[in-house]
Amino acid sequence: MASHKITLSGQAITFECDEGDTLLRAALRAGLAFPYECNSGGCGSCKFELLSGQVDNIWPEAPGLSDRDIKKGRKLSCQCVPTDNCDLKLRLNPKFTPKHTPAKSTAKLYAIRQITEDMTEFCFHAEHEARFEPGQFALLDIPEVEGSRAYSMSNVPNGDKQWHFIIKKMPAGKGSGRLFAEYKLGDTVTLDGPYGTSFLQPDVPRDIVCVAGGSGLSPEMAILKAAVVEPRLADQAIYLFYGGRTVQDICPPALIEADENLAARVQNYNVVSGADAAKASSWSGEVGFVHELLSKKLTKPLAEYEYYVCGPQPMTDALLRLLIVEHQVPLEQINYDRFY
Amino acid sequence: MSELIVLCRTVDVEDDTPISVSPDNFPTLAVYVHEGEYYVTDNLCTHGMAVLTDGYQDGDEIECPFHGGAFSIKTGEGTAPPCFTPIKTYPVTVLDGNVCIAQA
Repeated sequence: MASHKITLSGQAITFECDEGDTLLRAALRAGLAFPYECNSGGCGSCKFELLSGQVDNIWPEAPGLSDRDIKKGRKLSCQCVPTDNCDLKLRLNPKFTPKHTPAKSTAKLYAIRQITEDMTEFCFHAEHEARFEPGQFALLDIPEVEGSRAYSMSNVPNGDKQWHFIIKKMPAGKGSGRLFAEYKLGDTVTLDGPYGTSFLQPDVPRDIVCVAGGSGLSPEMAILKAAVVEPRLADQAIYLFYGGRTVQDICPPALIEADENLAARVQNYNVVSGADAAKASSWSGEVGFVHELLSKKLTKPLAEYEYYVCGPQPMTDALLRLLIVEHQVPLEQINYDRFY
Repeated sequence: MSELIVLCRTVDVEDDTPISVSPDNFPTLAVYVHEGEYYVTDNLCTHGMAVLTDGYQDGDEIECPFHGGAFSIKTGEGTAPPCFTPIKTYPVTVLDGNVCIAQA
């Protein structure tokens, strides 16, 4: 297969980028500490300047770039596929050194588990090892759907090449739409991973607070499953806070009940944001937003916990504001990948 | 008026390319130019993990290299989450082609 030679300006670093691979994925496959978060064009963390060479920009309108970035010629390394040797201006950062080298293979769907009306766990068997950190994600290419989709693994690393994903059916989503409508056992996707910089920190001796909304539950389930059996976290309290729009969205109790390790350790609190819907279905639990529930239920000062967060942008922003501004939680205690 | 210290020459700083300086008795500072005006802020993000000059200047904002947070280089206030706590800014005097701030 043809490949291109990529150099980083002023640094003695060279890596090969296979034909068709993006700069970011190739750099991470080479073990380089390329900065990134979403690997999906949304966050803008992987910006670079192209000093020489040529790239094919697969998503020029990606929201991760501002108008000024575009005017300045900045590009996203997650959306650029080299068509020639390239020299880039970009600063590496050791924080982003991949723990597991991402790899790509064909993955076959072997189980489908419906969780709610619009969330389902899709279980794939890949050709490459399921080596990842709990909380990380993979990029799925679905045949005839343009672009890759980032989905977080809901299971823990294993020796059986099994990669599970809790996926929400998006109303206008082409990727999830196809998976939900057409995928049956034995169908395949291309699975590339792992990616992601937010994952369980087993050496941090703080009580664990997982906060999720929607399919943000997927990585939190992986983190919880790993945390409850992790000897280094045997003395830590473990919480899951989950927010849904309707009572039907509140799936964590059943998922936790189904796993005796989770049931024994995880303290789960759920909240429904739709007050009318809650009343109509005689919901006796909390009504409101998930961040409001934290200060009600957690007994220690909020700055004493380690947080793992995955959910829609309004949830994440409200939670960050609460934790950082009102409770002075150091940002390094809040683990999340930003997809916007 | 307190004594001034020289941080760098004005020609050392280019639009959208802030530089990092480490004068005595100060934390590491970032020096910016935007529309012909010079600005100086602390160079560490308020959560302490990121060096702002590793990020990207976007007009009168500096985007932190982590999490896409941003600060105003003029006022120091956070302009994009998770940057809520302002960074410190320093009044700048341009003297003989040098970017200067008051001695600590």
